[in-house]
Amino acid sequence: MKPLRLPHAPPGLADVAILCLLGGVIATLVAFAREFQAPFAQAVQIDLRPAALPRYTLYSLSRGVTALVISYLFALAYGWTAAKSRAAERLLLPLLDILQSIPVLGFLPGLVLGLMALFPARNMGLELAAILMIFTAQAWNLAFSFYNSLKALPQPLRDACKVAGWPPGRTFRQLEVPAAAQGLVWNGMLSMAGGWFFLMVNEAFRLGDHDYRLPGIGSFMSVALDQGNGQAMALAIVAMVIMIVCVDQLLWRPLVVWVEKFRLDESSDGEPELSSWVLEFLRRARLPRRAAVLQRRAYRSARRAARPLERPFRSVGPIILRGPRLALEHPIARWVGVALALAAVVGAAVLGAWRLWGLIAQLGWREWGQLLSSGALTFARVMAAVILSTAWALPAGVLIGRSPRIARALQPVIQVVASFPAPMLFPLVILLFERIGIGLGLGAVALMVLAGQWYILFNVISAVAAIPQQLKDATAAFRLPRLTRWRMLYLPAAAPALVMGWVTAAGGAWNGSIVAEYIQAGGALRATRGLGSLISEATAHADFPLLAGGIALMSLVVVGWNRIVWRSLMEWARARFGYAQ
Amino acid sequence: MTPGTVLLEAQHVTQRFRLPNGQNLEALRDVSLVVRENEVVALVGPSGCGKSTLLRLFAGLARPADGKVLYRGHALDGVLGAAAMVFQSFALLPWLTVAENVAMGLEARGVDGAARRDAVARAINLVGLDGFEQAYPKELSGGMKQRVGFARALAVAPEILLMDEPFGSLDPLTAENLRSQVVDLWRDPATGVNTLVIVTHSVEEAVFLAGRIVVFGSNPGHVREEMANPLPYPRQERSPEFEEMVDRLHAILTATLLPEPAPAAPQRLVPFPRVHVSEVTGLLDHLLTRPDGKGPVFELAEDLGVDYDRMSAVVRAAEQLGWVTTPGEIVQLTAAGREVMAMDDAARKDVTRARLAKQPLFARLVAMLKESEGAVEDEEVLADLTIYFPFIPAESLFATVVEWGRYAELLDHDADVGRLTLLGWEGAAEARVE
Repeated sequence: MKPLRLPHAPPGLADVAILCLLGGVIATLVAFAREFQAPFAQAVQIDLRPAALPRYTLYSLSRGVTALVISYLFALAYGWTAAKSRAAERLLLPLLDILQSIPVLGFLPGLVLGLMALFPARNMGLELAAILMIFTAQAWNLAFSFYNSLKALPQPLRDACKVAGWPPGRTFRQLEVPAAAQGLVWNGMLSMAGGWFFLMVNEAFRLGDHDYRLPGIGSFMSVALDQGNGQAMALAIVAMVIMIVCVDQLLWRPLVVWVEKFRLDESSDGEPELSSWVLEFLRRARLPRRAAVLQRRAYRSARRAARPLERPFRSVGPIILRGPRLALEHPIARWVGVALALAAVVGAAVLGAWRLWGLIAQLGWREWGQLLSSGALTFARVMAAVILSTAWALPAGVLIGRSPRIARALQPVIQVVASFPAPMLFPLVILLFERIGIGLGLGAVALMVLAGQWYILFNVISAVAAIPQQLKDATAAFRLPRLTRWRMLYLPAAAPALVMGWVTAAGGAWNGSIVAEYIQAGGALRATRGLGSLISEATAHADFPLLAGGIALMSLVVVGWNRIVWRSLMEWARARFGYAQ
Repeated sequence: MTPGTVLLEAQHVTQRFRLPNGQNLEALRDVSLVVRENEVVALVGPSGCGKSTLLRLFAGLARPADGKVLYRGHALDGVLGAAAMVFQSFALLPWLTVAENVAMGLEARGVDGAARRDAVARAINLVGLDGFEQAYPKELSGGMKQRVGFARALAVAPEILLMDEPFGSLDPLTAENLRSQVVDLWRDPATGVNTLVIVTHSVEEAVFLAGRIVVFGSNPGHVREEMANPLPYPRQERSPEFEEMVDRLHAILTATLLPEPAPAAPQRLVPFPRVHVSEVTGLLDHLLTRPDGKGPVFELAEDLGVDYDRMSAVVRAAEQLGWVTTPGEIVQLTAAGREVMAMDDAARKDVTRARLAKQPLFARLVAMLKESEGAVEDEEVLADLTIYFPFIPAESLFATVVEWGRYAELLDHDADVGRLTLLGWEGAAEARVE
């Protein structure tokens, strides 16, 4: 028995901090639950006084965290199913690919109307819609990450669990989830950032003559914009930054450091040591250990209390379970189950497609012409945004990634900056552009750059930082001139990651177009022709056929372009510039 | 070929690195070395002795923290143009063809057009890679890749060829073949290469190639001894003269790796070699099977299939525990060593605990733990190790201490909290939870 030592110090600062945090979390949850249950009202008054901002920030944060929890549950279920069944894999993976690339914002109106119909009297419908919209921005990469981790799990580990006779549940808890923990945490960080992107729209949007608003930092910003209240806008931006920094420092940093212990490959040489002051702080605290002891005691007493029930349950349990087990294990029953599930999925898809067709069929030639020409315009803007982003992010990424010291120092800063939802800045940028005489037609490109550039920067930095030292030595030892060194070493080494970045940046730009081409700022509406503005406009006028057509077209273009252009470009870059020797 | 003018010179060179954990590691201390024209110099020594670091300094890829590196009497400023380098991991750009890789160094020298094509073709021909010009590195075997590495270096017709364990990641057959070709290249006036500096791990390789062998010691890296090797080229590996030379180098390396204890050494803090428990018991097991329980350290290394500096580290650990002695090159099992191998596991742990408690580093740690009621934070121990052994990465020494402490049930470590605890210490009991 090894002794478990406690720190010598009595409960100290760390414990007080933990208690305060716990109290804050509980208070937030209670307030949020109340908001959830509140009776629904049109165009809720948003209080623009600074004093109201903390409460709004916590509401928005609660929505983001709730969505993240749902996203994790979804990712575990979806990834597990896709990894376990070949049939499911064939259906779920392409589906995930599509879900990841279509502009989900377009589904907001339908979602809101549906949920409002379910809960007409309460805020619940609107809240659920907002949470689900955040969920759609968070879930897919988590599911991908979990699926990939499961697929990458070494077979010997699986075999060891089988030999040990672990039931699937235990394997899931003690092998599959821990092995995927690192990916899940890193992707959770990205998801959280992605979830904020449409915060303003999710919390305040107009559908026809309905004005839906939820108290939150996004609606605060959008009301401030409507009223042209500069002070409130600045406050909202500051509050957003504070929230992002707090979430990063209090949640993600400690998690990232903590999941290091679930690394599967044990060679961590040369990797920069990660540290989190919060985690250090918590480790000093006495309370968590006390809580662990209490929990163990409580568990033991519960077991003791349940002992009289154990025997009857043990004899009855298998009898009760026999039915389901038979149903699960019998080949015919399984076949029927799979067929039923498939039928449900196909049925839903057919129904959805039918409904969509019903809407789209109402569009005339003129509308189609309008859709296609705006589609071409927005497509040009997306490509321009990708090129512009590359023009600055590629050199910057190489410069940063080349020096491990600079990369280590800048990475956290860039991460926080990149988490900031770009659409919150759109109106300000546009007002600035108007001052210097640039219209929204071109300005929208700049906004779309804001929405997509970070993916390129991140990808290039990590690819350049991963170049083996001996390759850098070789180019130095043979005295390659600077330009040649970029051409022969840095750019090729960054190429596969750059293409990866393009895929995501273009996705971000397409999404961004919906809010970049149609902006309410300073009490006035600014719009420029484009598919994004068409979608926004259709939403504002509750023109559902046009909305459906716009969304369908955008999804088609994005998915098609991904499949045909990006994918082949990616395969080429990997084959040509991969390290695999 | 007689040694001529001094080409490269290191004058009192010291080099330090900053590890990611903030420790300042001294890789080289006050190293002075001369490389003359027409020489082949081999740098040998245990891993971590800074021989590769010195090679990078010669190449101008890094600047020394203290001291000077001179080329023909002038201080080196940036990368040395008169030298070319061959790397252990080949360091070929995977997206360039063989010909493009070989041409890498020519641009900086202003060799263009037809002249460049000629130089590339000549270098490729020298290493026997004709026909592979348009292949990508991933299509080649390890030996072929290193031929490309050599061709890339030869293409610039360098005065000096610097090689960092060039055969280290090749299989023995390929390595042997390439090795004799390197001698041919050096002797061939057409290549323009007249001076070689090679970092190697293999004693046979050093004796086969070098006219002068420089033996490095570690902690921190320094030059221990230089040995001239006048055997005529081409050298025959099976000849008695060659064997004798190998034995001489073995003796020097042994003296470096397994120094005789200084008479009446004070209780100086010696680091515990970074080896695993199982390696030491494996060594003792192997010695038991030998007549008289002894054998030369290089033979043991070969029999057990480990390299000599690893072997000598294991031997030093066993020696610190009193289980072997090392008269010269011979490793001899002691009576205590025989006894401990006859014991059951529990008794063996008890003996190990008693022995470790007397080892100066562990003794110091135990004293430190007792002072602070049986538990010390990792950072404190790491800081201590860094101060006493500035030339050893503290984290890896710490891991060794924890492994041995745990095995002997002397220490325990809580990785979640980052704390080292002393076992069997009365203070520990009252701090126990529940």
